[in-house]
Amino acid sequence: MHVNYWREVHTSGPGRIGLGLLLLVAIAAVLAPLLTSYQPAAYTGAPFMAPSAQHWLGTNDVGQDIWTRLLYGARTSLAVGGGVALLSLCLSVMVGCSSALLGGLYDRLMMRLVDALIVIPPVIVAILAAAYLRPNTVLLIVLLSLFLWPGGARVVRAQTLSLKERMPVYAARTFGAGQLHLLFNHIIPDLGPILIALMIQDARRAVFMEAGLSFLGICDPTVVSWGKMMQHALKFVYLDVWRWWLLPTGFALSLTVMGFTFTGFALETALNPRLRKEAGHADN
Amino acid sequence: MVFTGYLNKIHIKSGYIMQECVQARHVPIRNKVFKKASVLNRASLLNYVVALLIILTMNFFIPRLMPGDPLQAIYGNEALLVMTPELQEELIHRFSLDRPLGEQYASYLLSLCRGDLGHSYYYNAPVLKVISGFLPWTLLLTGLALVISTLVGFLLGVESGSRRGRPLDQFLLGGIMLFSGFPDFFMGIMLLLFFGVFLSLAPLSGALTPYAGHSGLMLVVDLLHHLVLPLAALVLVRLTATYLLTRNTMITTLGEAFILTAKAKGCPERVIRYRHAGRNTLLPVVTAAGLQFAHLVTGTLFVEIVFSYPGLGSLLYKSLLTRDYPLMAGILLVLTVVVLTINLLLDIFYPKLDPRVAKCT
Amino acid sequence: MLTIKNLKASYNGLQILKDINLNLEKGQVLSIIGESGTGKTTLGRAVMGLLEGSCTGEILFKGKNLLTCPEEELRRIRGREIAMVFQNVEDGLHPLYSIIYQVMEAVLVHGLKDKKAAEERACEVLELVGLDNRRFLAYPHQLSGGEKQRALIALAVVNNPDILILDEPTASLDALTKAEIIAVLKRFTRETAFLVITHDISTAADLSTHMAVLYGGRIVEQGATGDVLAGPRHPYTRGLLRSYPNMSTTKDLQGIPGRMSHHVEGCPFHPRCTQRIQICAAEAPLPVVEGNRLIACHRGGIVPLLEVRCSKSFGPLKVLQDVECVLHEGETLALIGESGSGKTTLAKTIMGLLKADEEEIRLEGKKVTRRTIDFYQRVQMIFQNPGESISHRMNVLQAVKEPLDIHKTGNEEEKLERVRQVLNEVELPGDDDFLKKYPHHLSGGEAQRVAIARALVLNPKILIADESTSALDASVQAKILKLMMNLQEKRGLSILFITHDLALARKISDRLAVLLKGRIVEEGPTSEIIYHPLHPYTRALLDYAPLLEDRSVRPAGSRWARRACDNSLQAAPGLKRPPSATSKGCSYAHRCLAVKERCFEEKPELIACSPRKVACFYPQVD
Repeated sequence: MHVNYWREVHTSGPGRIGLGLLLLVAIAAVLAPLLTSYQPAAYTGAPFMAPSAQHWLGTNDVGQDIWTRLLYGARTSLAVGGGVALLSLCLSVMVGCSSALLGGLYDRLMMRLVDALIVIPPVIVAILAAAYLRPNTVLLIVLLSLFLWPGGARVVRAQTLSLKERMPVYAARTFGAGQLHLLFNHIIPDLGPILIALMIQDARRAVFMEAGLSFLGICDPTVVSWGKMMQHALKFVYLDVWRWWLLPTGFALSLTVMGFTFTGFALETALNPRLRKEAGHADN
Repeated sequence: MVFTGYLNKIHIKSGYIMQECVQARHVPIRNKVFKKASVLNRASLLNYVVALLIILTMNFFIPRLMPGDPLQAIYGNEALLVMTPELQEELIHRFSLDRPLGEQYASYLLSLCRGDLGHSYYYNAPVLKVISGFLPWTLLLTGLALVISTLVGFLLGVESGSRRGRPLDQFLLGGIMLFSGFPDFFMGIMLLLFFGVFLSLAPLSGALTPYAGHSGLMLVVDLLHHLVLPLAALVLVRLTATYLLTRNTMITTLGEAFILTAKAKGCPERVIRYRHAGRNTLLPVVTAAGLQFAHLVTGTLFVEIVFSYPGLGSLLYKSLLTRDYPLMAGILLVLTVVVLTINLLLDIFYPKLDPRVAKCT
Repeated sequence: MLTIKNLKASYNGLQILKDINLNLEKGQVLSIIGESGTGKTTLGRAVMGLLEGSCTGEILFKGKNLLTCPEEELRRIRGREIAMVFQNVEDGLHPLYSIIYQVMEAVLVHGLKDKKAAEERACEVLELVGLDNRRFLAYPHQLSGGEKQRALIALAVVNNPDILILDEPTASLDALTKAEIIAVLKRFTRETAFLVITHDISTAADLSTHMAVLYGGRIVEQGATGDVLAGPRHPYTRGLLRSYPNMSTTKDLQGIPGRMSHHVEGCPFHPRCTQRIQICAAEAPLPVVEGNRLIACHRGGIVPLLEVRCSKSFGPLKVLQDVECVLHEGETLALIGESGSGKTTLAKTIMGLLKADEEEIRLEGKKVTRRTIDFYQRVQMIFQNPGESISHRMNVLQAVKEPLDIHKTGNEEEKLERVRQVLNEVELPGDDDFLKKYPHHLSGGEAQRVAIARALVLNPKILIADESTSALDASVQAKILKLMMNLQEKRGLSILFITHDLALARKISDRLAVLLKGRIVEEGPTSEIIYHPLHPYTRALLDYAPLLEDRSVRPAGSRWARRACDNSLQAAPGLKRPPSATSKGCSYAHRCLAVKERCFEEKPELIACSPRKVACFYPQVD
């Protein structure tokens, strides 16, 4: 069945919203220095200033510009999200594909490991590890990836196994194709959309977790993070500042996560043959 | 945290239990089925044992891989300052900290078996004892959230899926997906600000009104009063996974031939929706609930912190702030064990729902 | 009686006969068959000494070399000891003499003086050949073609010759007359040795005891008529038989590629031969005795390309039990069986897609231990559903090119050229527009053609077609099958055609193997099995094969008559049956109409029952 996944996604309502949101956040992160004249760590004015022309979202308890910190926070979120997505995807593909193709004892051992890892709640372990290790961003990415890959590996393995039984793969084998040819010419391209769906899912979870961990105070002290900003802002909830400090940060985080959610939803809808538009029930 | 459940389904399908069942079904001779079944149970139990071992090992090694004196690494500098030399001596002895790693590991496991999770210097009490005071609140919150979010998610999913594309479906889909974008703690903050601070309808913190001396029905009302906001925050955010999975499985199921058979039989719409399609849809939902629970526990931790709810989340936060490492490790261990136990229970419960699996279990 | 040694004949500088060796004994009827222009007539005339041209070698008749005999002596032999009936019926008789006179003359020229006796003899013979006695005095123009042929035969046999050479005795006769003439000729076979020169294989089959196949002035195959027809061993003989319309074989007609030429070095057939190797062009093969046959072929006749013997089980289920089959060059072997009989498993096992428990596969005589890239260059497979077997991400060019990429043959331009060529071969356009199409833009027939093109791009010799056309509409299927038959004709492709459709197999296969629960229960030439099934299972399959009529109007008991579907219990009342299926015993026993107790106890082996094999204790003979 041939499906143009890109078209399916970017023409569907949720897909459009999701892609739009992600684009917005990405622009904010990339163009942060152009959108503000302050440095995120700089003390730019009096503490607890209300929003004004100089400080669009006012200042925090030590006089840092909140708008600036918001923009730079996007960088952290996206970096962690993207980094974790890539790294855990690599692990997933490596383990999933090799398990499916090699089979045998290796496959059994790997899947046992995956089955075991999958029931371990990642955030809890990340908290434990991060508390001891006092992570920087890179370490955080590695840590989160280590707990996110098993789910993906299982999906990749299952999909590879079913792709392996597909006719084009059989046909290629009858031309004398080796495992590598099958992997790179048939299996990975066919996995493509699923891999992207996995990446989006992992990225979403990673953004979530990063925010959560930094909300608990587990984060790289040198970077700006939305979770940390919220933790901070929550301490001053008795003042009015939460309106321009806490809420915008929370919404920024929520919009990012929503961007991933909607895009992922659209992609998965396209991936699932029964949910695709043309397969819809006529009587409904 | 699965968008539509499609990946989740691949996931579930690839699970060992299902796979071996399908293989076992081909075996015509009865004895073999039973033999296979017992192997299977042991296999899934083994998963949990392996998972537990991985957690324990990490719990054990991460502090010990830190440079410096193991006692210092495990307890942190702040704790050492307030400890008496006698206590330090006792701890070193209790956990064989002056012995090689292998022995340390053995004595670590041994003390775990005795229920000894270490000593919390902040509370100056055994970790387990501290935790046991906080655990019930967390269990209450998580358990209710799991039941409610699964139930509501399922019901909404069924209704939504059977009305695919119609206004109610669109509305539910859009709304619930919007909620899922909010991190639990932010949802909690917003609820707290709106209902607690702005409308003053709900208490701002705690699980019970302190020193109120309520009893009986009043106690329950007070408890629920404190519970409702954190619970709402959790349910609203965690509803999505179940809802989406149900909705999409529902759509898929409604396309199956056995639904057509039911329609041809003359079953009323509601019966088809719940007894025929819904029952089938429940299977992946239950399977996913295990994974869901792990996420839910994490969410609970954050929500508790926001609402200062006296559960493990708040305790964890406090232990993080005070760097009470043994307490922190203990909390995480207990939580992991809870998650694993729930998953195991679901695995045991699942065959009751699916006779196809029950046959070979 | 007649021995021809190293006979070479040429005229106008063109060598027509090259090294003919033949032997004709008394009582033998030797037919020489071959296309027109292969030198059959030349051979007959050379024996008669009537050839305008030069001959070398020896033609020994009763010890005398006819080639060195003086003309006078030859004349005496001609007509009396060696007679010939020429091909052209119309002009073979003198238009101005009566029939009886012309027959008398043949007697008189050989020394008999008594006219009366000659006339009596002529009458006797004319009666013997079945000419109406009122016609004896008639003139040739008054006779029909059949009567003229009878007269000519009478003319030839009137002197009781030792050898009668018949050049196309039945050409241009209608079927009935032909049968009568053959019946007449058969009356003389006891006394006279016949040399029947014909392109009409049915005449040769009917008349002759032995058969020699002549091609390009050489005898390529020779043997007893029945043997040669049932199992031709030279590719040319097989080509002749395939292109000859008849009621015995069921496969659709196929021709022989190319044209005959006399200017050929080496084996005369090699330019048209699909299994030629280098030596074929360089040297003419010497005739060699192979079994019951004399064959002149460097490859020893049609080669067995693929010999398979394998067993395979999935868990306790034995899917293939010692299945053995041989696929010859340029042949279609149809593998028939219901679903679950192990057909596809066999195909996949041969291709190495499944690992057999036990296997012995020989490709062109060499044992295959690992499926190397070379194996796949020789053996290719076409799958059931063409749309699925081509990746949806590949356009026609990429799909067809993929095998070339894997085999790393040539650069991109050469590959493109090859792709175009092979698309052309499967009757698809090779233009850029088509090359850029994706599978979902193609119709079922087009997609299957692309799949075939992809399988052919490596120039394989063997094609395994697993239900390749069953997903297509009948009209499209017909076209695809025709394409496959044409490809077989052109390239000598061997096809293992796996199907459940007996009616289809009948039209396209040379041989048939019937698979039942992972065992071959009957195997042999398709026509043989279709007309005389031995195994009860084959019978049942045939009984329920598609038919375009109401079965119930056929008389009960006749072929294709309606039969109750499950009457096995009534079929053998009082039979002691085991309560449930056991692994021992014949796998068809429970459904068999001819079942006996033994069938439940032992498994029948596949035993030869010439020209086929059957695995049944009680094969049913009509």
